Amino acid sequence: MRYRIKHITEYLYSDRVSHCYNLAHMIPRNTLRQKCLRNDMQVNPVSSHTMAREDYFGNMAYHFEIQRSHKKLVITATSDVETGPQRSSLNLDFGITCAQAREQLAHSRQPELLFAREFLIDSPMVKASDELREYAEPSFEDDRPLLSAVMDLTHRIYKEFTYSPQSTTIATPLEEVLRQRKGVCQDFAHLQIGCLRAMGYPAKYVSGYLETLPPPGQEKLVGADASHAWLSVYSPTEGWFEFDPTNDCFVSEQHIITAWGRDFFDVTPLKGVIFGGGKEPALHVSVDVSRLG
Amino acid sequence: MTQTSRQISNLRPDELVYHASGSAKDEVFDAKGNIHSHWERLLNSFHALGPATFADRLDKARRILRDDGATYNIYSHPKSPSNTWELDLVPSLISSSEWGKVESGLQERAEVFNLLLKDLYGPRELIRQGVIPAEALFGHRGFLRPCHGIKLPGEHQLILHGVDLIRGDDGKMCVLTDRTQSPSGAGYALENRTVMSRVFPSLYRNNQVHRLASFFQQLRSKLTALSPNQDQPRVVVLTPGAHNETYFEHAYLANYLGFHLVQSGDLVVRNGYVWMKTLDGLSRVDVILRRVDDLFCDPVELRSDSQLGVANLLSVVRAGRVAIANPLGSGVLENPVFLKYLPQIAKTLLGRELRLASVNNYWCGDEQDLAYVLDNMASLVIKPTFRGADYKSVNGSLLTQEQQAEWRTLLRQQPQQFVAQPILQAGQLPTYADHQLQPRPSLLRSFAVAHGSSYSIMPGGLTRVGVQETSFEISNQVGSKSKDTWIISSEPLDQSDYSDSPSATVRDADLISLPSRVVENLFWMGRYAERAESSLRLLRTVFMMFNGEEPMSENCQRILLQAVTAVTATQPGFNDMALLRSPEQELLRVVGDNECSGSVCSNLNAMLYCADESKELLSSDTLRVINDIRDALTELDAGLSGGLTSAPEEALDPLVTALMALSGLAHESMTRDFGWRFMNIGRRLERALQTTTIINSLLVEETAEADQNVLLQSLLLSLEALISYRRRYHAAMGVQSCLDLVMMDTSNPRSLLHQLEQLSEHVKMLPRASASHHELSPKQRAVLQAETLIKLSLLNELSAHKDGERQQLKSTLESLKLTLGTISNLISDKYFNHRETSQQLVSNIWGGE
Repeated sequence: MRYRIKHITEYLYSDRVSHCYNLAHMIPRNTLRQKCLRNDMQVNPVSSHTMAREDYFGNMAYHFEIQRSHKKLVITATSDVETGPQRSSLNLDFGITCAQAREQLAHSRQPELLFAREFLIDSPMVKASDELREYAEPSFEDDRPLLSAVMDLTHRIYKEFTYSPQSTTIATPLEEVLRQRKGVCQDFAHLQIGCLRAMGYPAKYVSGYLETLPPPGQEKLVGADASHAWLSVYSPTEGWFEFDPTNDCFVSEQHIITAWGRDFFDVTPLKGVIFGGGKEPALHVSVDVSRLG
Repeated sequence: MTQTSRQISNLRPDELVYHASGSAKDEVFDAKGNIHSHWERLLNSFHALGPATFADRLDKARRILRDDGATYNIYSHPKSPSNTWELDLVPSLISSSEWGKVESGLQERAEVFNLLLKDLYGPRELIRQGVIPAEALFGHRGFLRPCHGIKLPGEHQLILHGVDLIRGDDGKMCVLTDRTQSPSGAGYALENRTVMSRVFPSLYRNNQVHRLASFFQQLRSKLTALSPNQDQPRVVVLTPGAHNETYFEHAYLANYLGFHLVQSGDLVVRNGYVWMKTLDGLSRVDVILRRVDDLFCDPVELRSDSQLGVANLLSVVRAGRVAIANPLGSGVLENPVFLKYLPQIAKTLLGRELRLASVNNYWCGDEQDLAYVLDNMASLVIKPTFRGADYKSVNGSLLTQEQQAEWRTLLRQQPQQFVAQPILQAGQLPTYADHQLQPRPSLLRSFAVAHGSSYSIMPGGLTRVGVQETSFEISNQVGSKSKDTWIISSEPLDQSDYSDSPSATVRDADLISLPSRVVENLFWMGRYAERAESSLRLLRTVFMMFNGEEPMSENCQRILLQAVTAVTATQPGFNDMALLRSPEQELLRVVGDNECSGSVCSNLNAMLYCADESKELLSSDTLRVINDIRDALTELDAGLSGGLTSAPEEALDPLVTALMALSGLAHESMTRDFGWRFMNIGRRLERALQTTTIINSLLVEETAEADQNVLLQSLLLSLEALISYRRRYHAAMGVQSCLDLVMMDTSNPRSLLHQLEQLSEHVKMLPRASASHHELSPKQRAVLQAETLIKLSLLNELSAHKDGERQQLKSTLESLKLTLGTISNLISDKYFNHRETSQQLVSNIWGGE
């Protein structure tokens, strides 16, 4: 599937910003099932210096520096992306069992497995805990195929947690999300990552977009989409495989990847340092995912 | 425990003689109790010197350290003085034959750490091949993912390597820890050496001690060679600031190497380069020797709450347009877990095992090691793998049963975050304590700098000794003393090459490009010094007048006291009538209360702060005077304790003298660069302002003849003009001749017009954007305006009074004051760096579905 994504981020400051330095993760990366055909970053006011590079995780990082005074910052990222499905032949009821997977992860000397262990360790925003392990445990019987167990966990999170945009912020700790049983896609992704790591399976955070289809008979509203987040789990035999707990599914052609990392911290869409700016800037984000041809 | 004391000979007990403790390894004696020959020579020399001379030399050493401003951990509160660096005068001796082995071991170790650093931020072959467990790297907070792929030009990634060495149980030196971010101590080692060579010149010469200077020359040339820009590279030393515990060393090294000392606010990233903010605008920076921890260096990509870093620094590094030593991310090498795997790491990277052993390390992230640690806690030191983490190292033998149980729980919960090492008995060194030479456990920090295709090791290093014979922790944080470390050559050395004196290297930092922060500090140093001086002079005068033979009228007392309030700006002060009736308390407050803004004490502390911030530009004589001021300040309370009746003016004299010495030195011994100019501008401005205020307070109000005489005398006294007045006029006090002397007479160095003429000279020389035009700059115009105001004044108009005050004098002084304020603002706006506060830009909400 081919998509055009238009991602507009707008900051309104209460006071003038004299200059600023920013780092954006808004350029879709290339992956096995996805190719970024074109990308254009527009920054207003115009940057005095920009640089795009591949970061540690292979994502595209975009740096820009504004040296002129401003009260409004607008970043428009436009990308054309071609996506494919995940491996089509995958049957969740076969494959390596949970016990075998843990065994291999602990003892295999295969480089790919050794490097996957990076995603088992606590990361800035996801710390494995006994609570998370207790929550996850019922899905992971030793002789159950790993991916089927992960799908079961995905399903449980979808069923047992309420989607509620007002209930959490970026600073809400995972324990509280677990207690409240409420959150948004980033919380659910972090939650499932924490569960998987607590059980001993490597998991990473994926940020991107999801094509949303309008209800039958209605026209799609421009800008009504939003950035999205899900996760990817590592199976020693199948490799990385993506699940979306917010939508109770494994990831499809409609999931467009921007970047991945250990958690949100590694792939924050926009961060930086501003000089001046006053208190509490107003942030407005709009995303539009449309099919091409 | 049996104390078999071994002595070098039968000496009287009151002599300087060393008794080793029989229970521990001793550096002086071999296993059989025989003294090493190099030690015998040294200890005999100390014996010949005798205890009294030794104590004298110790005093001398302390004086030198103090005069050099050698401190560790500068005062956290302005009232408590900074800690002078502690140097024990008995050096640590190492024979060159033993050192040869240690040195090659250290070189080899630095090479391995260099290769390790390259691998960890490059291909990570060691993970791929399973030499290092993935968790040891990926779980360490010092592994900075944004630093992946960053490369310095040349073979070396690791430029400086510091290693703490301890005498192991087998009698050989072994490595306790590595310091790979910004190893501190090399500057202190150099200062120790400088002091030792001055305190024991012949002892030092006769012992054939290897010199340190070449190490610093190699550091200097290596740093310069890292520059991406071959044309006159600019190297700076980045310090967290004057409050950092090792700030002395930062300033000392910067000075010795001839580099600028900068703080994060002095640097800015623009258009892909790093720039230093100078008087002359922005000037490009090519190399940064950093003393800021790597996590704090860039708030955009590393710790976003850091105020010590430079936004976007990392992306300039990545583009190869600035080089940082040690590179950002090198802190990961300090992870002690790597020591456990070091033999295999060395085999993989270097093809052989290391000659210099490390202390055993047990990593709790390894199941077997964890079991061992849990079972043997009482004989181990437990350390967090990341320095600056929430936990400090603990000595297991000092833990109670309960604490041990708590630690066991913690280790089971976070096994990967801790290592354990056996508790080692350090080798003991003779150390001067309680007028004797006593054994103290010792540690040696050695330093390596990248050189050629390998590393060059400082011959010696920084030795530190425990506070007590049985001390476990040896660090400056717990008050350990340091020692110079002498590598004793068996053959005479060719000493012609290098001298260790700091003046040996040329300072080529161009003077116009001083960081504007430094210049601002000098400006304020001048202002605060002058402000304190005028207040002191006025207060001294007031004290004298109050205790004079003739009683003063109440009116006169009031005017004098209100002048004190006006000059020190300590409102409401004596405008409060109740205080006028019993002024003592308030007067003492205005002198000595640091909490009272405007008091002499608070101005002097502010001046001392500015001096610390621009320390690297002050001569050693100036630093000595600064120390005198600091001392006089601490003695002030005692001097004033007798109250107003016991000649309190005398308590102020030492401070006035010290301040005079300071301005004299600035005049006589400072290079006429922009720093000097700004300090002088500060002084002149402040003196003009203060003089204006004093005249205004004492002479505007119309008073009876007798009172007026007292006030005129006070005015002249406090402006140091009474003697000139008497010599010149031989007559009774007259308002017009007084005003002439203090306002218009340019031969009086304290007159207003003299200050303005000097200001005019300085301002003319300041850098300006369009030097080609003859048009005056706004500052020059303001100075000219002030000068003209005085020059066009007429004495008879100034002295005339109407309705109880001298109206013309009043309005002249008031507009002069306004103009002086304008000059100060114009200078500050144009030349000083106005730091804006920065904040993080993050969304505080999740980005929707």
